[in-house]
Amino acid sequence: MKAKQRHTRTAIILHWIYAPAVITSILSGFYIHNPSRFNVFHTMDSAKKVHAVSQYALIFSFLARIVYGFKDKNYREIIPNRKTWLSFPGFLKYEFFLSNKKVTYPKYNPGQKLLITNFALVIPIQIITGLALYSKKFEGTAKAAGGLNPVRLSHYVLSLMLVYSVSGHLYFAFTHGFKKLKSIFTGYE
Amino acid sequence: MDNDRICHGNKNTNNHITYLHKNNINAVTQTLSAGRHKKPPVIWLGTNTCAGDMLSLLNTLDPTYQSFISDMIDLRYDYLGGGSEGNSSMAILEETQRSCKGQYILIVEGSIPLASEGRYSIIGYRQGKPWTALDAVRELSVNARYVVAAGTCAAFGGIYAAAPNLSQSVSLQAVLDRQVINVPGCPINPEWMVGTLAYLVKGEVPALDNYQRPKLFFGNTVHDRCQRRSYFDNSLFAKTHGEPWCMYEIGCKGPSTYADCPDRQWNGEHVNWPVKANTPCIGCTSPEFIDGDVPFFEHSPDVKLPGIKLTANRFGIFTGAATAIGIGSHLAGSVLTGRLAQTIRDDFPRRKKTKALLRAIKAMRLGKHKKGKK
Repeated sequence: MKAKQRHTRTAIILHWIYAPAVITSILSGFYIHNPSRFNVFHTMDSAKKVHAVSQYALIFSFLARIVYGFKDKNYREIIPNRKTWLSFPGFLKYEFFLSNKKVTYPKYNPGQKLLITNFALVIPIQIITGLALYSKKFEGTAKAAGGLNPVRLSHYVLSLMLVYSVSGHLYFAFTHGFKKLKSIFTGYE
Repeated sequence: MDNDRICHGNKNTNNHITYLHKNNINAVTQTLSAGRHKKPPVIWLGTNTCAGDMLSLLNTLDPTYQSFISDMIDLRYDYLGGGSEGNSSMAILEETQRSCKGQYILIVEGSIPLASEGRYSIIGYRQGKPWTALDAVRELSVNARYVVAAGTCAAFGGIYAAAPNLSQSVSLQAVLDRQVINVPGCPINPEWMVGTLAYLVKGEVPALDNYQRPKLFFGNTVHDRCQRRSYFDNSLFAKTHGEPWCMYEIGCKGPSTYADCPDRQWNGEHVNWPVKANTPCIGCTSPEFIDGDVPFFEHSPDVKLPGIKLTANRFGIFTGAATAIGIGSHLAGSVLTGRLAQTIRDDFPRRKKTKALLRAIKAMRLGKHKKGKK
């Protein structure tokens, strides 16, 4: 049987740029937040450098993904639409083990759609708040939020949200079909 | 007259300490005495304030307070140190307002309360009626050449505007439609005010940031110039108060606070400042001070949700635990209901190892694995 293409090469390349960028941003970010508890770097200086480099990788790959999403119109597969919301109760019933009726979705199930859309919403806010903390040139953002400390808190709380979303994404990627997992490396199921 | 020299001192000196140099202030006074500029009349009004900013200004040494008020400005009204009171005091305000239109500098210290038509702060009585701070600043600012907010309360609301803010106190800018130059601080460093006025005396407004603070004094974070910065970069952190390392983990707000305290320092001749005295920066020049950066000795501000207030770290622990429980429960459910096994079976139908793995999972599910061992 001929293998079915699930992801394009561009989508795979971009995924493997921003995925490690998100992971390293999270690790270095936690170290910057609380170096004693998340002792994964040797010094704050190295954590800050890793954070800065991964942030740049994230910013550019994320922007490229947005452009590609609109150019290829594949954002339609990700952003929840009316059908997604209508199928959401059935999806929840299945995931909460209240029903055994497994529905097959064209590409992403409603949960995955919400998780990926969540990334698309949270990452830009993280970029904006991160830049406000990074340089006074972006202080305008801090002013809108009421100061740098509220920005710092938002950056932290949203990073937690990102961590939990990434955890969920990884969990579902590893347990909801190995063919799908393979496709993010090869492009084909 | 080089304004940079007024406030940066001699750039040729080997150290990088930036402070007002007495000779440079003398140059301002010489310019004034030569008649090239006129000493501007100044009104220093106190609204809802602890008087800390004026008391801090009294400690200026470079120039001295005496030199400041006699050679640099024409201090017409001072709510704290003025010799007059009652009607004569009010008469000075009215006279300055009338005779010095467009010439005087209005400096306001303290926040402006809006509740009860502003009667939480009354600066005096006119014709037997209370003159509220709200009315006074609105009236006096009309003919002022410059309006300056002295201290964080006037600049951003500060302590008086902290929750629950029963007096509904706000910053000076919130009640005026014109530009206000903010010189925050709790209290202000005397040189921040003297240095700002050195510009205004010459008829120039210093370069300001987004919060209308002079960049000269508020251009870098405390963290950028902190003497313990190398400890931060090398991850040497104080765990409790009193340790000589970076106080980032015990709540220092230096990374999010713009001020030149590490360079300029306090106590007159640049003697000391909080970190040098072994206490974390509390971010008193920030617009969010005080509600936005409490608790002072916690790493991050509290997370406030309806009915819940948690420290940022506890919020992280609770939400992390909830996520772990959620994922763990789902995984357990997937194993117990056989869904995970089915997924493996569907994806790897012909593999021997897969079959063995499936058998092991099934055995675990039915508890046979344990029995078999026995």
